[in-house]
Amino acid sequence: MVTFALLAAVSVVGALGVVLLRQPIHAALALVGTLLTLAVFFVTLQAHFLAAIQVIVYAGAIMVLFLFVIMLLNVEEQHAGARPWLRWLAYGVGVLAAAGLIVGALADPRQIPDPALARAALRGGNAGLIAEVLFVDFMLAFQLVGVLLLTAMVGAVALVQRPQPPSAGAISAEAREAGLKERRGRPGSPEVVEAGGR
Amino acid sequence: MVPTEAYVALSGVLFSIGAVGVLTRRSAIMIFLSVELMLNAANLALVAYAYHWAGTGALTGISGQTAVFIILSVAAAEVAIGLGILVAIFRNRASTDVNALAEVRL
Repeated sequence: MVTFALLAAVSVVGALGVVLLRQPIHAALALVGTLLTLAVFFVTLQAHFLAAIQVIVYAGAIMVLFLFVIMLLNVEEQHAGARPWLRWLAYGVGVLAAAGLIVGALADPRQIPDPALARAALRGGNAGLIAEVLFVDFMLAFQLVGVLLLTAMVGAVALVQRPQPPSAGAISAEAREAGLKERRGRPGSPEVVEAGGR
Repeated sequence: MVPTEAYVALSGVLFSIGAVGVLTRRSAIMIFLSVELMLNAANLALVAYAYHWAGTGALTGISGQTAVFIILSVAAAEVAIGLGILVAIFRNRASTDVNALAEVRL
């Protein structure tokens, strides 16, 4: 219970950091902290394979993609919105929703699951047991996820691809020629020798 | 032992914080980060319920964990395509402020 309280505090602080920190990089790193504490929760809930996947795929691959894009776009959060009361309204709605969910969850007490029974049934949540369910009961979902990943890959490449003008080669050759002429005009620079040698 | 309600309550708190982030953040990339937080809150609830019901059936518990696995793949696809759209928007407008995209409506 002490472990749970400590980890819950860390994960909630990280989540608040995602929402409140101004710098996008700091917010993304706070989310990495929350994801890592969630991985520890998965370990305590006998889901060891999911914990490993959480660290490798979520905290590793997906968050690196996020950080890469944040640094690429140089995102800066501008403040001073037109209606500041809307922000406070959103905070109020969030606090109400959180309180309602806590009360709703705790007002419906269940029997604490028998740890030995759960451990025996889940077998540590290892990859083999998950594969047995994934490739039999979840076969359709598995196939659809494959199609979805392929679509996402093609879509991402198509979206980020720069539109190439038909005479791109000619333009770049012209530009290179102009650059060479300009460099020749400057005396004393080492490029002049190099350009003359060509 | 920690009761299942505690995990579900924590999941609800994380989900609410993520929802507040979606409502208050202005930059599209920060809205994406908050959506990731909400997805992870749902994952935590699924894993907690998987542990709770593992004793009742042979495959009940492990099915919850497999659903988390599928959600994770969908989240990865969503991030790839969403960040691609963001880069395309940024190339045209040099900003990811969602308020500046107000003319994108039906």
